[in-house]
Amino acid sequence: MASIIHMGREDPGYSFSAAPTAASANREHSFYPYVPNPSPLPSNSPRYTDNGGSTLGIAGATFTIMAGDTRSTSGYSINTRYAPKLFLIGGTGTEHKSARIVLSVVGFAADGHALAERLDTIVKMYKYQHGKDMSVAACAQRLSHILYGKRFFPYYVQALLGGIDEKGAGALYSYDPVGSYEREQCKAAGAAASLITPFLDNQVNYKNQYVPGSGSGLDLQARQAVPLPQQHVETLVRDAFSSAVERHIEVGDGLQMMTITVDGIQEVLIPLKQD
Amino acid sequence: MTSIGTGYDLSNSVFSPDGRNFQVEYAVKAVENGGTAIGIRCKDGVVLALEKLVASKLVKPGANKRIATVDRNMGVVSAGLLPDGRHFVARARDEAASWRRLYKAPIPTAALADRMGSYVQAHTLYSSVRPFGVTAILAGWDSEAEVPVDGQVGYGPASGAGGKKEGATHGGPFLYMIEPSGMYWGYYGAATGKGRQAAKSELEKLNLAAGNLTLEQGVKEAARIIYVAHEDSKDKEFELEMTWVSSLKGPTKGRHEEVPREVREEAEKWAKKSLESNGEEDEEDEEDKMEE
Amino acid sequence: MNHFPEAWGRPRDDVYGAYNGAHLASGMPNQHTQSPIVTGTSVVGIKFKDGVVIAADNLASYGSLARFTDVKRLHRFNSKSVLGFGGDVSDMQYLDRLLTSLDIRENYHSADDAALSAKNLHTYLSKVMYKRRSDFNPLWNHILVAGLDTEEKPFLASVDLLGTTFSSPSLATGYGAHLAQPIMRKLVPDEEAAARLGKEEAIQAIKDCMKVLFYRDARSMDRYSIAVITKEGVDLNEDVKLENQSWAFADRIRGYGTQVN
Repeated sequence: MASIIHMGREDPGYSFSAAPTAASANREHSFYPYVPNPSPLPSNSPRYTDNGGSTLGIAGATFTIMAGDTRSTSGYSINTRYAPKLFLIGGTGTEHKSARIVLSVVGFAADGHALAERLDTIVKMYKYQHGKDMSVAACAQRLSHILYGKRFFPYYVQALLGGIDEKGAGALYSYDPVGSYEREQCKAAGAAASLITPFLDNQVNYKNQYVPGSGSGLDLQARQAVPLPQQHVETLVRDAFSSAVERHIEVGDGLQMMTITVDGIQEVLIPLKQD
Repeated sequence: MTSIGTGYDLSNSVFSPDGRNFQVEYAVKAVENGGTAIGIRCKDGVVLALEKLVASKLVKPGANKRIATVDRNMGVVSAGLLPDGRHFVARARDEAASWRRLYKAPIPTAALADRMGSYVQAHTLYSSVRPFGVTAILAGWDSEAEVPVDGQVGYGPASGAGGKKEGATHGGPFLYMIEPSGMYWGYYGAATGKGRQAAKSELEKLNLAAGNLTLEQGVKEAARIIYVAHEDSKDKEFELEMTWVSSLKGPTKGRHEEVPREVREEAEKWAKKSLESNGEEDEEDEEDKMEE
Repeated sequence: MNHFPEAWGRPRDDVYGAYNGAHLASGMPNQHTQSPIVTGTSVVGIKFKDGVVIAADNLASYGSLARFTDVKRLHRFNSKSVLGFGGDVSDMQYLDRLLTSLDIRENYHSADDAALSAKNLHTYLSKVMYKRRSDFNPLWNHILVAGLDTEEKPFLASVDLLGTTFSSPSLATGYGAHLAQPIMRKLVPDEEAAARLGKEEAIQAIKDCMKVLFYRDARSMDRYSIAVITKEGVDLNEDVKLENQSWAFADRIRGYGTQVN
């Protein structure tokens, strides 16, 4: 996260020393009408900030759990102890009644809000126009296109999109700020992603775990990851966050958790340490 | 007036040999058929009132307001073609907003009347347009406050260089009426529409030039005058619509607002009562006024 | 090929020489606010059971110069909302005019003075601020919106030059975030505490914050504006003098100038 924020200020490491410093002007063969003074992009005014926090999503056999802490920060300051990072997408009205998709965003909160609002509008318009709910897979690809569409002035967020796929299984998609995406079983994003990810590798994907008594060396059999029961996943999420809170200053205050099933979305708010 | 224009009434941009613009005169005819609208300039504010003829029983009572707010401190009522009145208001709002953008202050009522006069007059010049089928009455209270500039954050020195002149006053109530020809004048009391003659003679009796009438009295008189003006078209139902704009110390705090329901209903009650007594005996009416 | 994908496919300096950028658009004078010029410092606000209290001092600084001393940084929008501006004063004036025109348009058809709630106003402002930062032409302010929401409940939220928004039982911009927030958070750690807080306690907390800020923020002043927004309307006082300050503690602290050695 931090490395991209400072991209404008640091030498990105070109093989040549004089990278172009100003926007390229229209050429003689330009398709566009001649613009005498394309306004120069300000270089020193900030366009982004990092509001900290972390998010996490885990897909199960019949559900997806999305979670995020509710702290918002500016540097060492806490802006507020309650700024949700989870957004309901689609459904009806401002209440998002009967929504089955959740977007989580972490990074630059203003971009996150703008992104959530845009995706929500698109999903709602889809229903008005086609008379059916948008599938998570379609929504996921659309989100990728939205992010990629702002490739040169990105939404500065790591997004996760959770829902239930057309077979009724939990679906989770993760994104980078410019729209690269993949479907995953579980994903942590944001400030404490590096703290939570190894925990998930171990507890969800059973990485570096082997079937006892399967032998040694090449005979070792990796323990197979299986979809976990809902109760168990909820416990993992709580543990992941209460541990992250201990080790990362930008994570804390509250844990917002949404469980998506075919029957609807359940939201819970669990207190985290406020230090 | 003869309605046979002998060809000189077919276009806006053509005079008749005896110096008349028939299109404008026809527009005035349209105004003369509209519900009566009046404005009274009182010493501490201005009242606008309208005899809104009920076009259909299917129209919700009290809905479809006809007196419009143009800026915070100004209102417009018009008699004549409704859509023309709407366009007039839209233009007035644009003028008021563009003045604010340029001068960072509200447009003085006089300046808006001037601009609207020019705009209406321009519609008498070209063959591609027709004149406005409305006569509009514009009421405003120009702020008497010291700091009317939008976005002003400080007050400057209290005295000395750049200081303020002691005792200087400005602002106050203003009332203008703009006719289809583009002609506009400032008035103490203005009336237009079907019952304008009766309304005018009632307004004259109020001796408005003396500047003694208060806004509260003005509201009652305005209601009464609309009821008097309605006498000629008694067969039709009507609603009384009233707005007012007062000084900063007054009931509307310098803003143009609808007259509150209780105040309007009380004024209507008084208007009906004085109308009844007026039919029987004039002297009783005088006594009523004394009581007020 | 090296390990920097952004350099792949580009001409290399050692083969073609340094890139000649002469034909590129020249650096024109900046037309956008790149930094604030005349600025206001902190704004502080706190929710209580019936409404919100908000305050900001009356100083506009030009760098470290205390340039204008009667600048009102609290703006009453309507009977339900007050804005507190930190940051650039000219941008504040622009926003004030923008909101005036919004208010005029909103009131064409309604006699209701407060057709827009503080929440509506905050949403509108956040979109203006986010649009401007996305146009690379930010309005250099950090704004607190205080008042009542659509359900007439106390509302307090902030929006900054990047379009970042958040809400909390107490908020402060600038130095206030460091100096005043701890004082206010002690009083209202959460929404429940704010829903119990009385009006006088809230006013006292804000006054304490203004005093601390005057003591420690070099860009602050001892005259300030304070507003209380409740269902009864806006009570705005634009000329409050800081009370009961004392520098008595100073002579015991090295660095305040009275010690000889």
